[in-house]
Amino acid sequence: MLVYIVRRLLWLPVLLGAVTFVTFILGYYGPGDPVQVRLGTRYTPEAAARLRREMGLDRPLLVQYADYMRKAIRGDLGESYTYPGRSVSSLIGKKIWVSAQLGFAALLIGVSLGIPLGLLAAYRQGTWVDTALVSSALFFYSMPVFITAPFLILVLAVRLDLLPTAGWKGLFSPHIVMPALVMGLPGIAGIARLTRAAALEVIGQDYIRTARAKGLPEHLVQGRHVLRNALIPVATVVGLSLAGLVEGAFITETIFGIPGIGRLAVDSIFRRDYPVITALTMIFAVSFVLANLLVDILYAFLDPRIRYR
Amino acid sequence: MKKTLVWLPLVILLLTLAAVGCRREAARPPAPEAAPPGQAAPGVTATPTPTVAPGPRTGGVFRRLWDDPPTLDPHLTTDVTSAFVILEIFSGLVTLDYDLRVVPDIAERWEISPDGRTYTFYLRRGVKFHNGREVTAEDFKYSFERAADPKTQSPVAETYLGDIVGVVDKLNGRATEVAGVRVVDRYTLQITIDAPKVYFLAKLTYPTAFVVDREQILRMGRRWTEQPNGTGPFKLKEYKVGERIVLERNPDYYRGPPKLDRVELILSGGNPMAMYENDEIHITGVGLADLERVRDPRNPLHKELVQAPLTFDTYYIGFNVTKPPFDDVKVRQALNHAINKEIIARQVLSDLVTPAYGILPPGFPGYDPAMQEKGLKYNPDLARRLLAESKYAGRMPRIIMTVPGTGGSAGLDLEVIMDMWKQVLGVEVEVQQVEWATFLQELNRGTLQAFAGLGWIADYPDPQNFLDVLFHSKSPQNHTLYNNPEVDRLLEQARVEMDWNKRVELYRRAEETIIREAPWVPLWYSGERFALIKPYVKGYRLLPMLVPRLKDVWIER
Repeated sequence: MLVYIVRRLLWLPVLLGAVTFVTFILGYYGPGDPVQVRLGTRYTPEAAARLRREMGLDRPLLVQYADYMRKAIRGDLGESYTYPGRSVSSLIGKKIWVSAQLGFAALLIGVSLGIPLGLLAAYRQGTWVDTALVSSALFFYSMPVFITAPFLILVLAVRLDLLPTAGWKGLFSPHIVMPALVMGLPGIAGIARLTRAAALEVIGQDYIRTARAKGLPEHLVQGRHVLRNALIPVATVVGLSLAGLVEGAFITETIFGIPGIGRLAVDSIFRRDYPVITALTMIFAVSFVLANLLVDILYAFLDPRIRYR
Repeated sequence: MKKTLVWLPLVILLLTLAAVGCRREAARPPAPEAAPPGQAAPGVTATPTPTVAPGPRTGGVFRRLWDDPPTLDPHLTTDVTSAFVILEIFSGLVTLDYDLRVVPDIAERWEISPDGRTYTFYLRRGVKFHNGREVTAEDFKYSFERAADPKTQSPVAETYLGDIVGVVDKLNGRATEVAGVRVVDRYTLQITIDAPKVYFLAKLTYPTAFVVDREQILRMGRRWTEQPNGTGPFKLKEYKVGERIVLERNPDYYRGPPKLDRVELILSGGNPMAMYENDEIHITGVGLADLERVRDPRNPLHKELVQAPLTFDTYYIGFNVTKPPFDDVKVRQALNHAINKEIIARQVLSDLVTPAYGILPPGFPGYDPAMQEKGLKYNPDLARRLLAESKYAGRMPRIIMTVPGTGGSAGLDLEVIMDMWKQVLGVEVEVQQVEWATFLQELNRGTLQAFAGLGWIADYPDPQNFLDVLFHSKSPQNHTLYNNPEVDRLLEQARVEMDWNKRVELYRRAEETIIREAPWVPLWYSGERFALIKPYVKGYRLLPMLVPRLKDVWIER
């Protein structure tokens, strides 16, 4: 197992190299240019040439790339173009942490409510409970954030005055409730549907009937057999969405005024803030790889038939 | 599956819609133009209530929403978000007063040599940095040298300091020192510029010319802006990125300590109207969405509504005069005459803008109200006649108008204008929307045929900032590529004319010609803006330009 993990992790540097190189190429050859964005409508060719020289952007692509990688290996991700003087790592670090907290809360909501509801629907299959749950799941899964968010703000913050309208004060403050709810609702819906489908499939299996026939108490049938097997596809989805924790959520963050990574990512792209864009791309790539690895390891625990060499 | 429960979700949906339906619109993320309200928006002149107003008292905290400033380094400032904060923490030789005149700041007076090229500034004594060290002419010398140093990477050094002898040389590596800035003695500084440009002093009010602490920069390097040692009325007490900025009173400020204890700028965002109504902030802009509600006299907020003066900006459509069909002046004029700006301003933009017929905005130094009459007014018959006389009559090439933006529409006003062009002239214009960075690139390359969605906002209060910078044939910001040697001559003369009235006359003649030759369709001056200010906040001035003002604000409680 350990060997397997190490072997998977060895791909990381290769992946990072490829991802950053592609990002560099896109930035170098693509339209738009950070110097022009910086100068805005006060552009003059002389100022642009001077800034380009000073920022090192007039060097050949490979030289810039080698320079970047050399510094990155030592942990220096450079300085932002939009926020001159601010190191990329300090800019990103705080925001990723905020987004991760929010994403985690949303995921928690999704899992803790989604799985029980899905199981409920599976066991009450065919009854009104099942239909209600499935249709609401479809409804909330399809609702975009910019519909649910203002609605929640209107009801919970403005009318009932239970929660603050916006802002961010950390994981354990009322500010997190609404954004986490807004992000978690589609999660609940998705996980519920998935759990229901998986549970239905498992329940119909022969070994469940066998277990009951053997006289196994119902709670053990549920806990040891149904749940564990039904959770495998759910674990896949949840595990992969862990990677999404660091991606942030642009719309939610904008509506609720949360200083997260989603807004930074979108803004950096429009402003051609290459150091930030490159760093973010690397982080997303790493988190995706790690999330995949985590899911694969989880499989090994959930399904004894799976062995890694 | 039982069909009975299909209606359950439908009921939920209906209930949801019902709840949302009535009354006030959901608290939506506020009007972005309100981005930071009062940014360049000059706000409204908040006159204190006319009843018996007790004198200013010290103490109190003033709170407003703001955005993360890209930088707190005065030499790197290019935008309003940064400048607003920087103007309170730092200062320079001169500044603008509430009437937008250049007045002494750290320099208590100055002399200009007879040839108009050498300025001698006499500094106040006893001006201190926040850490107590006295400001001398040497500090200013260091600051100018730093701003002109290519390693500082200031994007605007050429724009604001380029007239000083030696600055451009140093920026381009041809010199190691700025020859035009000289320390005469401890409190006397001499600056020499390349020609007797009268608008030079106005440029010095911009942060690029502010003084910074050499000792701190040498000690802390690139991170010195985390605890800037400035000279302004406020010190930076706290800056939590994405959360808030706290400014604290500087009791030793050389023009008298501010009344406020603290200023809090909330950076984490939120809904301005909701926060204002909740007393979380003391001022907010009022966007189009909330305007009607607040303007209603039955609404208690109505009493706190104040009107902002016009900002010094002009929105326009630009034509690239080197590309057909805009190389024919009659086509440009025809397109101007085909637009009924009054109707658009009133009905589409709710009177939030004023139709523009000239280049300089109202209230701006050098503005002549008569210019609006000389503009190309709505006249569909004239428009059609001009088009018929042009060389493209009947064989109009494809016209693409490019605007910056990301999806949605190009702007209601532009859509109506394109419709008017079609109805009156039968001219079809396509809109191409490009995201900002790409738009800038194409604009600077001169490849765009026609462009819109831009406004030019004044950097400093002088007509040179509009007419010369935008229409001189050699100016890099002349994106229409307009080239008229006669206008060039007038502009060059006005640069160095020392008599104000003669200067204004030169600019007037230039503006008349420019309007007539129509490289632009001037569209709007930002019109009435509205803001809400808490009645116990006194002395907050809303102005057409960014001017330091927090030192005069006080809270009456």
